[in-house]
Amino acid sequence: MGERILLVEDDDPLGSQIVGHLRGAGFEPLWWREGRLLVPGDLPDVSLVVLDLMLPGAYGLDMLKALRTFSEVPVLILSARNDTLDKVRALKLGADDYMTKPFWPEELVERVRARLRRPTLQKEQAVVEVGPLRIDLQAHAVQVQGRAVELTRVEFELLAALARRPQEAVTRQWLVEHVLDPEREGTERTLDVHVSRLRRKLGPVKCVETVWGVGYRLVPGEEA
Amino acid sequence: MKLRLRLALTAVAVTVPAVFALVQVEHSVRRRTTDEVIIASTMSQMQAGGRERCEAAPETWMVRPPRSPQQPPWEREGMPDGSGGPPPGDSNEPRGGGPGKGPRGPGDEGPPRGRTGGRGPMGRRLPPVNLYPFDGQFVSRNAQAPTLDDALRDGARDDGVGVRRYAKDDGALVQDLLLRMPWEGGPCEYVLARRVEPADSPEVGLPPLYIWGVPTLILLSAMVVALGPVVQRLRRLTEEVRASSGSRYAQPVSVNGHDEIAELARAFQQARAEIQAQMAHQEAREQTLRDFLANTTHDVMTPLTVLQGHLAAMQQRMRSGEPLESGLMHSAMSEAHYMASLVHNLGAAARLEAGAPQVQHAPVDLNALVSRVLGRHQPIARPQRIALERGVPATSTWVMGDETLLEQAVSNVVLNGIRYGREDGHVAVVLETTRQQTFHLRVIDDGPGIPEEERSRLLERRFRGNEARTREPQGQGLGLHIVHNVVELHGWRLTLAPSEYGGLEVGFTGPLMSADD
Repeated sequence: MGERILLVEDDDPLGSQIVGHLRGAGFEPLWWREGRLLVPGDLPDVSLVVLDLMLPGAYGLDMLKALRTFSEVPVLILSARNDTLDKVRALKLGADDYMTKPFWPEELVERVRARLRRPTLQKEQAVVEVGPLRIDLQAHAVQVQGRAVELTRVEFELLAALARRPQEAVTRQWLVEHVLDPEREGTERTLDVHVSRLRRKLGPVKCVETVWGVGYRLVPGEEA
Repeated sequence: MKLRLRLALTAVAVTVPAVFALVQVEHSVRRRTTDEVIIASTMSQMQAGGRERCEAAPETWMVRPPRSPQQPPWEREGMPDGSGGPPPGDSNEPRGGGPGKGPRGPGDEGPPRGRTGGRGPMGRRLPPVNLYPFDGQFVSRNAQAPTLDDALRDGARDDGVGVRRYAKDDGALVQDLLLRMPWEGGPCEYVLARRVEPADSPEVGLPPLYIWGVPTLILLSAMVVALGPVVQRLRRLTEEVRASSGSRYAQPVSVNGHDEIAELARAFQQARAEIQAQMAHQEAREQTLRDFLANTTHDVMTPLTVLQGHLAAMQQRMRSGEPLESGLMHSAMSEAHYMASLVHNLGAAARLEAGAPQVQHAPVDLNALVSRVLGRHQPIARPQRIALERGVPATSTWVMGDETLLEQAVSNVVLNGIRYGREDGHVAVVLETTRQQTFHLRVIDDGPGIPEEERSRLLERRFRGNEARTREPQGQGLGLHIVHNVVELHGWRLTLAPSEYGGLEVGFTGPLMSADD
């Protein structure tokens, strides 16, 4: 089983739906049907809390306030109220995310995943491994399936920029401004040329993906 | 109590003590002046031969009131009347030819009434003064001399003048002045000057009623008359205020003049304006709420009906054992999604129309906002095989704004891209920041796009309520209207242009949050 998630939701159909979806996404949900003002030791060992606001027992924001006095566990607020004031208040009290009803279960699962993923993304890694690709950011060395690849400075910078944010699209404009020498070759056309050269050198693995309308992103890739 | 009565009573309450105080002051001034006159005349009389005559016959000397008004009292010296007096023809008889040698009637004793005496202070006749001699031991050799009390003695010893006033039983006022003469020794070292004011003299007690009553009466009537117009205006103002409140404050009150009453009227006018503004605001809010409810009901009913139809069709298929059609399912999901976005849009529209106070500015992370918006639309884009892409800066992009409204605005543009997109199409949200501390958020699609003339029209179009949306059941009118208003509210810039991929590119440009924020 995956990570444990505490769901606090008083509505039975919605609660069981969410539980079902979380379970389906590989999490281990724990469901409370009413709010309670937590004291240290009350909180079960969970990785994330999904908290409804309108609850019997204790109001969601009060619960969050009490929780934040002793725990830093990520909290995702669920509310029917789409009011900025509520959102701002919740975020100030230490909520990590805020979802308004109605929402698709898929979206909830996505947000839970994003929230659980976040901490690992924050530290800069010296070596990034994406699929068959191994990029040593400090040694400026790149290997594909264990085979070393010689890259030009620009090509390496390009790959490194994508590798620092794997799976995320990086805009072409950003790449032009930060990777290319703006005085000599600062156009998106030049960028595309560098990308195609990079792709050729990394082949046959297709790991530099074009993102429609945005730019490029590094993916695990698959052999052609 | 009525205003007029209250003011009249106040005037009486103030006037009466004032009149009495004035009378008292006048009395005391007159007494002091009388004293001075008596002292001066007595002194001059004693020094002009009076001393010699007194010392010559201290047993009988006295000065008595004159009988005729032509002669001042101190011109007359003579023997005391009555049985106790020395017999007429005594050697000490004064030379001045006193008032008659013969015995006088008992009724002649005491001051003459109202017809004698010299001119006193303030032009009044001074009543007659009797003089009696006393020696240094305050003993008089004249048997008719009145007795002295301590006040007189002490006053004369210390200051040269002792003063005593008292009222007799019959109401007459007695004024005694004991004077020390400017010589030492002898039977006439002290002289008592006695003046008796009869009880009916105008100088005893209050001045006659006609003297102070008439002016007081005139004053009171003037006050009551002057109050008339004031009371009248107050009554009119009261009536006008009543009429105004009866007409839900539509009717104004008249403001005339520059006095306190006009001030009151003006204050009421201000209060009236304030109340009217509050009422108008309240009504506008209620109207917004009513419109919101009506619009929500109307707009949600249509997709809800479609959704019900889809669900019924699905149920029928399940009953008859047919496999579920994915197109039907997607359509149903799409309707549900549309309903959700409609309700959000109507909520946003209601807030935008209620005005600025409803808008909360707080720091917003546009990166998170973009990923929320795309996450929300993923379930509806995927069945249509529309790829949702995003490119945001590596670190959070903070702006000041109303998070809910901004999310709604971006959401609307993305939803439009999905709804009007073609199968296997794309919608991308690209967020970039510039060195000039601005952000540029673009929503690009490769759908059919919008012709130029309609693009400009879309941005200019104002919200036209129900009608506009009835004609465009896709809700685009309201959606873009909200985008436009939200961007305007934040002071940002909204651009609509054809995208390089053939579809539409909607751009939001605005300042990043500065350190001051």
